[in-house]
Amino acid sequence: MSSGCQKTTSRAIPTRRVIVNDATQMPIDYSTTPGGTLFSTTPGGTKIIYDRKFLMECRNSPVARTPPRFLPNIPGVTSPNREEDKPGTNHTEPNHVATNSNHLDKPSGDDAQFEMDI
Amino acid sequence: VVPGAGEHPLQYNYTFWYSRRTPGRPTSSQSYEQNIKQIGSFASVEQFWRFYSHMVRPGDLTGHSDFHLFKEGIKPMWEDDANKSGGKWIIRLRKGLASRCWENLILAMLGEQFMVGEEICGAVVSVRFQEDIISIWNKTASDQATTARIRDTLRRVLNLPPNTIMEYKTHTDSIKAWEEFHGLVNTSGGR
Repeated sequence: MSSGCQKTTSRAIPTRRVIVNDATQMPIDYSTTPGGTLFSTTPGGTKIIYDRKFLMECRNSPVARTPPRFLPNIPGVTSPNREEDKPGTNHTEPNHVATNSNHLDKPSGDDAQFEMDI
Repeated sequence: VVPGAGEHPLQYNYTFWYSRRTPGRPTSSQSYEQNIKQIGSFASVEQFWRFYSHMVRPGDLTGHSDFHLFKEGIKPMWEDDANKSGGKWIIRLRKGLASRCWENLILAMLGEQFMVGEEICGAVVSVRFQEDIISIWNKTASDQATTARIRDTLRRVLNLPPNTIMEYKTHTDSIKAWEEFHGLVNTSGGR
C-alpha cells in the first residue's frame, strides 16, 4: 500500500474529510470509500478496512491455502485435506466452475460483480 | 485467536458456525443450540481463507442448513445479549446465487465496508428447499440510520437490482412468530 516510510520525522497522518449527504454520492464500486481508498487502515487507524480486491489477493498466499489445524470434519461441509490432495482445484462441482476459477486463478477484484435478476 | 506473523489483522475476530435441522421434530431453542456446530475462529484475512477454502460453498450444501459467520463471542442466536435488541436484513435468492452473494457479503463484513461502528453482529446464509436466504444481523433494530446504511451497503456490495425485495425483521418479531408457530403446533396436537 504506502511504500515510502519516513522514520526520521513524525508526521500526522494525513486526513481528508469527504462529506456525503446522500447515498447516491457513494461510489458505485464498493472497494472505494468516498474520496477513494488509499490505506488499508482509515486515517487515525480506527478501523481496519479491506476492499474485496485486496481480500481476494490474500487468498493466494501460501498460509491461506493450508487448512486450519483444528478444523472439525463435518462430512459434506468441511474438507480438512481437500486442498492438499488437489492443489489448485478445491471444487469439482460443475455448477461452481465459474466461481472457482475466480477464486483461485487470479486476484479477481476487478471482475465485474455479477448481475442478478431475482 | 491472534493474527499470525505477517498476516493481515481483521478489525474483529470472527467465528464460523454450521447448523442443520434434524428432519422431523420441530426445533426448540435448546435443540437449536445443540444443532449448531462451531467450525472455528479467525483473526486475520489469511486465517479466514484457511477456513473458507476448506468449507463447501453454500450452494453445495444439502438439506435445511445454514452457515453463520459472527463476531467472536456472539452466538448466532436471537437470545444472545448482542442480538436481543437487534434485527436482520433478509434477502431471498433464487437457487444458484447463494455462493456468490454469501462471499460478497462476508468479504464486505470482514473488510468493514458497512461503516456502522460496532453495530454488525454477523451474517447467515440459509439453504432451503426452493430458495436461499442471506441475512445480516445488527445490534440495534431501532437505530434507523444504521439499518438504512446497512441496506444501502448491501445493495452496493451484492450489486442488487433496484427492485430486489429486502426485508428488515427484528429478532423480537422473529421470536414471537416462532412462538406462535409452535403454539399452533401444540394446540393442534402436533408436538
